[in-house]
Amino acid sequence: MELVDKIIKGERAAIAKAITLVESSKDSDQQISRQMISELIKKPGKSIRVGFSGPPGVGKSTFIESFGSYLVSQNYKLGILAIDPSSQITGGSILGDKTRMVEISKNPNTFIRSTPSRGTLGGISMGTREASIILDAAGYDFIFIETVGVGQSEIVASNLVDIFTLIVGPGSGDELQGIKKGITEYADIFIVNKNDGELKMEASKTAADYKSALSYYKKLDELEKQVLLVSAIEQTGMEDVIKTINQIIDQNKLKGIFDERRADQLEYWIEEEVKHIIASDITKRLISKGNIPKYSKKVMKNEMSMYEAVETITNDTLKQ
Amino acid sequence: MNNKLNNGFNTWQKSFEKETKKNFSDSKSETDEGIDIKPVYTKDDLENFSFVESNSLPGQWPYTRGPKASMYTNRPWTIRQYAGFSTAEESNEFYKKNLESGQKGLSVAFDLPTHRGYDSDDDLVMGDVGKAGVAIDTVEDMKILFNNIPLDQMSVSMTMNGAVLPVLASFIVAGEEQGVDRSLLSGTIQNDILKEFMVRNTYIYPPEPSMKIVADIIEFTSKEMPKFNSISISGYHMQEAGADNVLELAYTLADGMEYVRAAISKGLDVDDFAPRLSFFFAIGTDFFMEIAKLRAARTLWAKIMKDFGAKNERSLILRTHCQTSGVSLTEKDPYNNIIRTSYEALSAILGGTQSLHTNSFDEAIALPTDESARIARNTQLILQNETGVTKTVDPLAGSYFVENLTEELSKKAWDIITEIEELGGMTKAVKAGIPKLKIEESATKKQAKVDSGSRVVVGVNKYKNPKEPLVDVRVIDNNRVRDDQIKKIQAIKESRDTKAVDKALTNLTNAAKDETNLLIPCIEAIKLRATVGEVSKALEQVYGRHFAKSLSVSGVYGKHFEGDKEFMKVESKIKEFENVNGRRPRVLVVKMGQDGHDRGAKIVATSFADMGFDVDMGPLFQSPKDVAKDAIENDVHAIGVSTLAAGHKTLVPELMKGLKEIDPKSKIIVFVGGIIPEQDYEFLYENNVSAIFGPGSNIIESAEKVIDLISDNLSKE
Ligand code: B12
Ligand SMILES: Nc1nc2c(ncn2[C@@H]2O[C@H](COP(=O)(O)OP(=O)(O)O)[C@@H](O)[C@H]2O)c(=O)[nH]1
Repeated sequence: MELVDKIIKGERAAIAKAITLVESSKDSDQQISRQMISELIKKPGKSIRVGFSGPPGVGKSTFIESFGSYLVSQNYKLGILAIDPSSQITGGSILGDKTRMVEISKNPNTFIRSTPSRGTLGGISMGTREASIILDAAGYDFIFIETVGVGQSEIVASNLVDIFTLIVGPGSGDELQGIKKGITEYADIFIVNKNDGELKMEASKTAADYKSALSYYKKLDELEKQVLLVSAIEQTGMEDVIKTINQIIDQNKLKGIFDERRADQLEYWIEEEVKHIIASDITKRLISKGNIPKYSKKVMKNEMSMYEAVETITNDTLKQ
Repeated sequence: MNNKLNNGFNTWQKSFEKETKKNFSDSKSETDEGIDIKPVYTKDDLENFSFVESNSLPGQWPYTRGPKASMYTNRPWTIRQYAGFSTAEESNEFYKKNLESGQKGLSVAFDLPTHRGYDSDDDLVMGDVGKAGVAIDTVEDMKILFNNIPLDQMSVSMTMNGAVLPVLASFIVAGEEQGVDRSLLSGTIQNDILKEFMVRNTYIYPPEPSMKIVADIIEFTSKEMPKFNSISISGYHMQEAGADNVLELAYTLADGMEYVRAAISKGLDVDDFAPRLSFFFAIGTDFFMEIAKLRAARTLWAKIMKDFGAKNERSLILRTHCQTSGVSLTEKDPYNNIIRTSYEALSAILGGTQSLHTNSFDEAIALPTDESARIARNTQLILQNETGVTKTVDPLAGSYFVENLTEELSKKAWDIITEIEELGGMTKAVKAGIPKLKIEESATKKQAKVDSGSRVVVGVNKYKNPKEPLVDVRVIDNNRVRDDQIKKIQAIKESRDTKAVDKALTNLTNAAKDETNLLIPCIEAIKLRATVGEVSKALEQVYGRHFAKSLSVSGVYGKHFEGDKEFMKVESKIKEFENVNGRRPRVLVVKMGQDGHDRGAKIVATSFADMGFDVDMGPLFQSPKDVAKDAIENDVHAIGVSTLAAGHKTLVPELMKGLKEIDPKSKIIVFVGGIIPEQDYEFLYENNVSAIFGPGSNIIESAEKVIDLISDNLSKE
């Protein structure tokens, strides 16, 4: 495939077109895209996929700009996939990611793509997974996957990356009570940002709080979770972050955790995709049969109960 | 209400309802500010005031009726036209001609590179030199600018905020080298950084160090320049960016409070500096509202300053400059603008402004020509000399309507001020981006009203002129200006004492690390012929450059058009496009060069998104090369360039080149919106621009054209 060759050569426009294909909802695009992906996975690169999440205001954007600049200054090639959930009722969206990555977006060693999530995180993340395969084949050393906000998107994002990073601010230690076992399973590294000026003391204290809380939740066979202190604004602590990322990746590879994780993720995505296909198939059938308006009228007229209606519709939809 | 009046009113109400066939209570009209205007006001409407004191006099507490007892009866307002373009030589000529023709004070418009602290030879400003103001690189330029204009006699206002330190320093040194001591300089420096972060966008450093610089200047002028206004706290730009009058009033006064606190924190006593704070408001087309706004501003400021413990009466008094609204002026049927400006000028005078700029009728086309500038100036000369408006102080005092409106505005603004104060003040609010977003929301609503026709703009959405006139425009050859400036910079760099300059710049950098008043080392560096760019960089080393993250409103435009046929037509075209192409039409909206006019770009972006486009929003100040990279990486269908500061003839061809450099087969189409004189259309089309959307473009119609052009382009593949 010509496109594949161009991607491997690292041609910017080809990479961009390829990402459009994997994100496309058009059947013919999806077919080309599948063929392309199956060719690309035969020529894997070496990229490490890193996920970033964190509550708004902790300086996540500033950190990504700062850490990204550091990486490109060290001659790494950096791809960034930003999933923007700011879609609206109308479906269109405003993608403002470029305004948050002014410096790195200029650098020829970066590729930055934002994707409107259109409300359905599942579908779009499938595209993100494949987009990272494209960037990998194109020779990017790191692929950042950035999700805005927390919650549902965090779980999805953690299934897209080799290493997942949670950024927090000084003083967020109080929220530790809120940190349930769950989150520690997703995040490999905790970055306490704003370790500068008057906030330094507070930041160190927060880091210490995180460390002790995390050791409390640590499972026996698990690696120590890393807590790092950085200042995105002063660009300090960046070497630690990259060192830690490399260390964790090396260790995980050694222990087989790296592959294990990618295998788990694959299972997750296969399951999600199958569910997605079944669900959309059934939804189509459900709508075409027109049962919902029909039976809801009956329920309105008290001719049957809602539960009876649900059961009847379900059976009718599932029957072959 | 006494009985007699009550009876009278009832009779009136009956007649009114009979004439209009409407209930009196349903006959209010709502303003943009959310104030209900009644069809009639009576004596009753003067009761229960908490701000306005109905019996006050001009020049007396709470100064609603004016800062002076005699106002224009003694001396008319100052005609102060804002101007500047090209080189210092050309602007100097222009100023001198204007002064001969009756203008009284100067007001300097700097070009965007100067505003943003770049020298004319910087690559980043290729398209911007001398285009939207005068280029000043060194004190030599400043001296040329005021050649044969005695600075001990002429009051000079300078709109400068970002690069305020080197520019004020240059002014002081230019004065000294003209033989005028700084203590004799009179005029105003804008020095209002908060509104830059909100709407004007010529900031350089982040908010905190920027606030420190503001305070340094207030401190320095209060000690050494007794006749100079240390700041011009500006609401003008907020209204021009889309704020309604309540937002303009509240945010401006809240900014003022923040500056007072900043100055106090330097150890100054309120009365040391407060008499030299000045203000700046816009005067739009809502005639009475604008009058009430100026009266309310004075009323509220007096109260605010009293609460700050001011004892000197002059500290309580708000003095202001006003400018008629540029955004109310249209590209279509441009002579209408003379009429609009006249009404606005009258409004400013009835509101009691101290000085005034009136816009030229070619406002929405280019910088004024000599001819259009003359008419703009004459608008004021006629008001002063022929209409008799100067003969009575505050002639609208006692008007039930105007007094009531003054009170209403005061109340509404006070609520917002209180809210901001509770949140920790304006610096905090600005950092969080809230005021900017509120202003953009208001701007988007206004656009929706015009696009839907619910607000009439004569010549734009109604009563269109079938024979649009082609007007002359001032053309500035930015390449020539740039070459001239570069030559001057080179000559200065060759003749100056480089070692001494370097040392002065290092001193400045070091001073930025502690609490030293930065104007002092700045003056030293400028005296030695350091450039504006060098001084700005010396500070940037410590403070860094500020990049604004852009938030966007959403759903505001779409909401106005629920059920609208035209709107739904575009929506369905987009849905169809998505079905055919597997994704929505994707458009990158960009600002290139130093042009900070983002109102249009933001409105277009949010409206397009509401209709169903995926819109990528670029940051401010992008280079054409960066835009090309963004566009290609995101595989957008089209780029929409919004350009208002006349950089288009340089920047658009560069963008085309940039796209081809990355992808020789690039199919991305480019369209351009903003201020484009008709004379430039052909040039842009020759450079493969697909469509041009000038001022007053209906956004829904524009969107339809864009989606059609994108579809056409794709079907060519
Ligand atoms: C508002 C305004 C300001 C505001 C800007 C607020 C903001 N945040 O945007 C303030 C007061 C801050 C300002 C400042 C300055 N301004 Co000014 N400003 C204007 C003004 C009056 C209106 C512009 C506007 O916002 N209109 C409303 C919006 C909605 O309209 P629009 O942008 O034209 O967009 C419409 C169309 O053009 C089109 N469109 C535009 N972009 C796009 C993009 C796409 C994709 C599409 C489809 C359509 C489209 O659709 C929109 C809807 O109809 C114009 C004159 C005028 N009447 O146009 C001068 C004007 C642009 N300013 C001018 C100047 C010189 C300045 C300054 C540089 C002055 C100085 N020397 O200091 C400063 C610096 C600002 C900066 N940082 O760049 C000059 C530029 C001269 C020139 N081009 O030759 C103008 C033309 C006035 C003049 N005649 O002198 N300004
Ligand atoms: N002191 C300090 N402030 C920071 C740092 N990083 C970000 N900030 C500030 O925190 C605020 C939020 O940053 P932003 O990157 O927009 O946060 P996001 O919402 O997580 O993307 C901004 O005002 C930043 O200037 C840092 O390292 N130190």
